[in-house]
Amino acid sequence: MGHPRVDAIAREAREAAAAAASSAELERVRVAYLGRQGLLTQLLRALGTLPPQERPLVGAAANEAKRALEALLDERLAAAQARERRDARARARLDLTLPGRRPPLGVVHPLTRVHDEIVAIFVGLGFAVAEGPEVETDEYNFELLNLPPDHPARDMQDTFYISDAALLRTHTSPVQIRTMKAQRPPVRIICPGAVYRRDADVTHSPMFHQVEGLAVDRRITMGDLKGTLELFAREMFGPRSRIRFRPSFFPFTEPSAEVDVLCFLCAGGGCRVCRQSGWLEILGSGMVHPQVLRNVGYDPEEVTGWAFGMGIERIAMLKYGIDDIRLFFDNDLRFLRQFA
Amino acid sequence: MKIPYGWIREFVDLDLGPAEAADRLVNAGIEVASVTPLAPPGLAGVVVGEIEAIERELGESRGHRLRLCRVWTGRERFGVVCGAPNARVGARAAFAPPGATLPGGRRIGVAQVHGVESQGMLCSERELGLGEEHEAGLLLVDGAVRPGADLLAALGLDDQVLEVEVTPNRPDCLSVLGVARELAALTGARLTPPRVTLREGRAPARGLVRVRIEASDLCHRFTARVITDVRVGPSPAWLAQRLRAAGLRPISNVVDVTNYVLWELGHPLHAFDYDTVAERTIVVRRARAGERFTTLDGQERTLTDAMLVIADPARAIGLAGVMGGANTEVGDGTTRVLLESAYFQPASIRRTSRALGLRTDAAYRFERGADVEALVQASARAAGLIAELAGGTVARGVVDAYPRRRRPVRLRLRMARVRRVLGVAPTAAHARRILTGLGLPTRGRGALLDVQVPSFRRDLALEDDLVEELIRVWGYDKLPSTLSGGATVVARESDRLRQEALVRRALVGAGLVETISYTFSDPARAAVLRGPADGAAVALRNPLSQDAAALRRSPLEGVLGAVATNLRRQQPDVRVFEIGVTFEPAESETGTREPRWAVVALAGARADASWYAGEARVDAYDAKGLAEHVLAALGTPAALVGTRPGGALGGFEPDCHATVLAGDQAVAEFGEIAAAARAAFGIDVPVFAAALPLDRVPYPGPPPRHQPLPRFPAVQRDLAFVLGAGQPLTAAALEAELAREAGPLLRGLVLFDVFRFPDGRTSLAWRLVFQAEDRTLTDDEVNEVQERVARRVTERFGVTLRSA
Repeated sequence: MGHPRVDAIAREAREAAAAAASSAELERVRVAYLGRQGLLTQLLRALGTLPPQERPLVGAAANEAKRALEALLDERLAAAQARERRDARARARLDLTLPGRRPPLGVVHPLTRVHDEIVAIFVGLGFAVAEGPEVETDEYNFELLNLPPDHPARDMQDTFYISDAALLRTHTSPVQIRTMKAQRPPVRIICPGAVYRRDADVTHSPMFHQVEGLAVDRRITMGDLKGTLELFAREMFGPRSRIRFRPSFFPFTEPSAEVDVLCFLCAGGGCRVCRQSGWLEILGSGMVHPQVLRNVGYDPEEVTGWAFGMGIERIAMLKYGIDDIRLFFDNDLRFLRQFA
Repeated sequence: MKIPYGWIREFVDLDLGPAEAADRLVNAGIEVASVTPLAPPGLAGVVVGEIEAIERELGESRGHRLRLCRVWTGRERFGVVCGAPNARVGARAAFAPPGATLPGGRRIGVAQVHGVESQGMLCSERELGLGEEHEAGLLLVDGAVRPGADLLAALGLDDQVLEVEVTPNRPDCLSVLGVARELAALTGARLTPPRVTLREGRAPARGLVRVRIEASDLCHRFTARVITDVRVGPSPAWLAQRLRAAGLRPISNVVDVTNYVLWELGHPLHAFDYDTVAERTIVVRRARAGERFTTLDGQERTLTDAMLVIADPARAIGLAGVMGGANTEVGDGTTRVLLESAYFQPASIRRTSRALGLRTDAAYRFERGADVEALVQASARAAGLIAELAGGTVARGVVDAYPRRRRPVRLRLRMARVRRVLGVAPTAAHARRILTGLGLPTRGRGALLDVQVPSFRRDLALEDDLVEELIRVWGYDKLPSTLSGGATVVARESDRLRQEALVRRALVGAGLVETISYTFSDPARAAVLRGPADGAAVALRNPLSQDAAALRRSPLEGVLGAVATNLRRQQPDVRVFEIGVTFEPAESETGTREPRWAVVALAGARADASWYAGEARVDAYDAKGLAEHVLAALGTPAALVGTRPGGALGGFEPDCHATVLAGDQAVAEFGEIAAAARAAFGIDVPVFAAALPLDRVPYPGPPPRHQPLPRFPAVQRDLAFVLGAGQPLTAAALEAELAREAGPLLRGLVLFDVFRFPDGRTSLAWRLVFQAEDRTLTDDEVNEVQERVARRVTERFGVTLRSA
């Protein structure tokens, strides 16, 4: 069948492979017979020196032997490697109850989480994000928002002043003013950011965060405000969430409304968190005051708009059951890691 | 503002309990913080008892003469031991029969006192929790109250108090009548304002007092009445009780009447002792700068010429709209009273009250806007009550200086506008009913309403204000729930937010914890973080405390605070970051620039304690690596950045502080926090930090371009060089030379080993990867490049090649 010389080499190779005890020895066998200087390789390379009538015979036999040897070596190698891994594991005294090598788990601040959730909902509804400076002018923070100097409503937002004209913004509403002054309607924006009020206790922080929303267009009604906030509440607090509007007062909206969400802890039945009322106050809102529209050069007979503002801390406290606002700014790792 | 519910019901006939009324108010925008019973908790079963007889003296006990009294409650008689000095036959007093309870749950029974059985207890005000009085003896009630009557009912204490919180636009609701009017509008019940009964004497008021307004911009109206022959004394029980229920302290009949009317009608009044006013003349004028004036509370105050005073020709006698003067105070000896009822300009009152730190009930109302028309009525109501309670005669007429007459306000309301703003509207007829119910006379011409705004509704100035009134009373639950249509736009987060999100994702992915700290700065602490070129910080004019008196200038202040907090709280391994702003003075609209930063701070172990991680501590390379990690995440890979010693930020150790550059742009600074800075934060372990000025970090970078994957195999070679001890040479310099010499075939270059010999020499080993785009490289080709590179580098830098 074969060729005596080829057969001899093939037999020898099979014996060597059978004798090889490890993957390294098998590799040496492969090099000895099939490597660049290997016996079978050399035989094939030397075919040209054989008499022409012998060439096909030797060639066919050598190729057949090469294929068989490769298959044998692959099979033996696989077995040897598996055996060697097993031995290695045994040597390593494998104990699968040891803790795994865990990559460190980073944590996003809970306020960032809530911020991102709120922003994502409104971006999904077609609102662009607008930002502005934290140090603002009295004009942008108050006057253009219908809060003249010496107005008692300024008491609602106790203010840190830098100078007569500059202050730490008490809300992100000046961003609304800046945006409206820079563009014509329609406007649909949300304004997230840090705001400041001169107040400090368990539920008030001198620095906190807000997201405000603003929509101004030709046919915007308070019903749209309600519809939009209902949608928001369902996304934020769950599909069964409900909201209610209560009349209120803000100098920059008319009519104004406080918005409560059905307490998601007791589903309205009354609990400690909602102080037995069944409702949680989450934001202030209303129709943009005609004077504010005029202040930015819009015609209140032509366009109407709604606006709202909510505190991120307030929502985070409700959502995560946090009762002291200062925890957010302590940055205690044991607190922050709870939000991994 | 505390309002007893019973008082409200005097003016409006309501079918509601106090809690329901509170609900209605809340739903109409008048916040009610609480509804609480007027009686002290626990007090029950106490009645009015008449002392029929004093049967026996029992001797002294602790300074009191004890007597056995016979007490009649209309059904039963009790023998009660009592030591009160005012116990006398015929008196009707608070009596707790056996079975009654006192505040705190103390149960009254039958007791043995001095060998006599005492059945129940006659009580003082203090024992009942109704006041402080005890030494004077028993709480006595009017002789008209029959024995056996429930004491709380007899005292008007069987009531609930509403704590009402009124928004700044509704000063008209800062009164019992105002809240009653609101409830009438909400329920349709009938409103009956208090009836003023005033019997005037013959002498005309204008003969008794003259009023001159010299600052009519600040005082739009001033009225004066005079009541003569009054006897100042304590108020009757019902008045004192009512004031207490409202949270006010009874003083004397005359003063109490002014407070009573303030609460009832909402208009602040002031009573002067007429005989202390010089020349019977009132002058309303600006104070003189530096003028000194002692207010009723005994404080001497220095005034400015922006403040308004009530004066006589000689001196100031009142701080207009804020507080009266000590020099004209009504006292026991007062026989004639001058009663002021005026209107002051709100902003002026607010400025004065704030400037002096004097917040009074009067100022609170005037700064929100008093009712310039109703003040005459308030004056008449008070004068009538004074005459009734303190005797005396009310002089005929009122002296009324009214230089700035209020112009009538009319608003038109288009029903189409209502629908336009709300998305829904009541019928015009319904709207007219609502507005009329609120006390706004309204005439209708189809879908156009003509509304007259009364003087007590200063807040109604625009058509949309009426829209709010309509929906407020009609109910916010009538608002439809709709979504606006309109043009669809592509909305997205701002570039800033997206950049920050990428930074956050990179650092959280690297295992760091995000912190958010106050941007307030402690100037003492901030000083150690000040960079060489840093100017002053932005200071707050009215900080909450001295350790938060400025805005942070250094990006490190927040994270170092977080590190310190955790170290103090036994959290030794801190790997945190913050994304936030700092503040610097600048020539801009706001006077401030607010650069954004991503800041990393590291202390303690590099990894959480574990069986595999070892003991390695964080170092400056960790800080740098995180900065490079962030830069790579933002599209500036490590291959494109360089490093320069030193930097612009303060707070780093000079010998461990460097700047990372992308081109010429400084895109990060990192290093070890200086010992002095650590000390200022109370940190006693090494801390490493990196700060990236996000506004200067390229973002968004050019979009990545696809490179075809290599088709030919790569060849890898290692080269190690040994630097002499103390040889001033950096890894970056060597690496740059390697890259240059290796030429275009070099595809990868990694410093994979740094080894320090004990003698101070350093070995640096690089792995070089060669690859060609068009062929398989031969050994010879690569060997040649490798040898050339090694030769050039050793020659150029005087380092030696470390043989493998």
